[in-house]
Amino acid sequence: MEKEIKRTIAYSEESYPPMPTKATLFWRRCIIWQAWRWLVLNIKIMKIVVGGHS
Amino acid sequence: MAKVVVLGAGISGHTASALLKKKLGKKHEVVVITPNSYYHWIPSNIWIGVGRMTIDQVRFRLDKRYSKVGIIYKQAKAISFHPEGDTDTEKGFVTIEYTGQDKVGEVEKVDYDFLINATGPALKFAATEGLGPENNTVSVCTYDHAAHAWKKLQESIAKMEKGEKQKFLIGVGHPGATCQGAAFEYILNVAYELKKRKLSHLAEIKWITNEFEIGDFGMGGAYIKRGGYITSTKTFAESFLKQRDITWLKRAGVKKVEPGKVHYELLDGTTGEETFDFAMLIPAFSGPGFTAFDKKGEDITAKVFAPNGFMKVDADYTKKPFEQWSAADWPLTYQNPDYANIFAAGIAFAPPHSISKPMTSPNGTAIFPAPPRTGMPSGVTGKVVAENIIDWIKTGEPKMKHKASMAKMGAACIISAGYGMLNGAAASMTVSPIVQDWDKYPEYGRDLSNTIGEAGLAGHWLKWFMHYMFLHKAKGYPFWWLIPE
Repeated sequence: MEKEIKRTIAYSEESYPPMPTKATLFWRRCIIWQAWRWLVLNIKIMKIVVGGHS
Repeated sequence: MAKVVVLGAGISGHTASALLKKKLGKKHEVVVITPNSYYHWIPSNIWIGVGRMTIDQVRFRLDKRYSKVGIIYKQAKAISFHPEGDTDTEKGFVTIEYTGQDKVGEVEKVDYDFLINATGPALKFAATEGLGPENNTVSVCTYDHAAHAWKKLQESIAKMEKGEKQKFLIGVGHPGATCQGAAFEYILNVAYELKKRKLSHLAEIKWITNEFEIGDFGMGGAYIKRGGYITSTKTFAESFLKQRDITWLKRAGVKKVEPGKVHYELLDGTTGEETFDFAMLIPAFSGPGFTAFDKKGEDITAKVFAPNGFMKVDADYTKKPFEQWSAADWPLTYQNPDYANIFAAGIAFAPPHSISKPMTSPNGTAIFPAPPRTGMPSGVTGKVVAENIIDWIKTGEPKMKHKASMAKMGAACIISAGYGMLNGAAASMTVSPIVQDWDKYPEYGRDLSNTIGEAGLAGHWLKWFMHYMFLHKAKGYPFWWLIPE
């Protein structure tokens, strides 16, 4: 069955936000890249939490 | 010997009591009073609500945990506060009513040298007519509610599998509700589960919120660097919804819910209705409704608690317009200003005002989010309060050197967008500080290098990892104390 292409309603609220491209979707699920991002995010969160209170 | 009483065994109270016992040892007494018999990792309720986790995966029994480390555990709810004692005693005490331990209904006075109020909120379903699992909508606020939501979701899925269309309305169910993030997680997970079952073409999914713009999340939104721009979380969050064909209704205050229909008022004063087959709407929160009395038995509830039922702390509660709000309004030590040995941590403290700008319709209806204070800040404030009490007990002086203002601390918020180790997703967000400081960061309100938002599989792994890591910590397993809040 062909995928139904939804028609954009011009000037609707939903017509303005960005949609991720195929490349963006690829990188969001690329295991190697996301493993790196997991590490980076973990370190960032740790720094924020530890540094946020005395 | 000092006696520290902790009301509540959620993220904040449990963090506080565990730290108190670890650092005070057997020499001092730590008492936990909670009506619950389980510890509950609330952030994973979303996954119960879509059938990805069971109730037993998000909870464990408190009695065994506490008896192992020597914390006195009373399964009871607090009723009233008596910070000055009464005619019989000089010591402050709380009255409690047992909800378990074969003493249901029994009332007891529990005195203290230090009191930490970490009870969390009361879920005010009754503030919206027809709202709640006993009425016309489901909720994910407790694990029982989330399990019920999954049951109802399965009914809708069964109808769709027979070819019937279903409308899903998910968001907040009161003009002043908070926890938009949790509801946002749930709508994304519902969309994910329907897509996985190839049922999206039969679903109409709509987000209903009291936020002025999508992506406000009760913290006035945030600015993040994305795709070569510095952009608002409005754009970030709307993109998530659009990608999943989720429409939205913003600036909406739900006033009433009937079977299959929600009545709302918009910020412009107009009213409307939305029909639904399945609705998950978060209720308003308030304090649990405690009373307080002075030594003579005179009611001092208004002195100790704000009108919303949360406990007053070292915040600036002066009424002032949004344009005069300041980072300095927010508390540092969570100490009650009138009774120095009483603290309120987590959601139990009264914030000075909201984080998002107050908005009122021409009809006088306040339609804007209350401030979110879940997760990370709850754990941090519980820790800081415990550390200050520990110092006070050990040195004999209220040094109060440990501080954690929400206008200085950052927080991470992982918004799940689907459960799956290879196909899942989440929006990983950090905000620093939680409450904007426009004096320190005049351009964007927050530190852009520590305020981020990104979408991807890594976010799902983070949330999944945090689930097991924080349960490991809460259960007191080896090296639990190494895990930060």
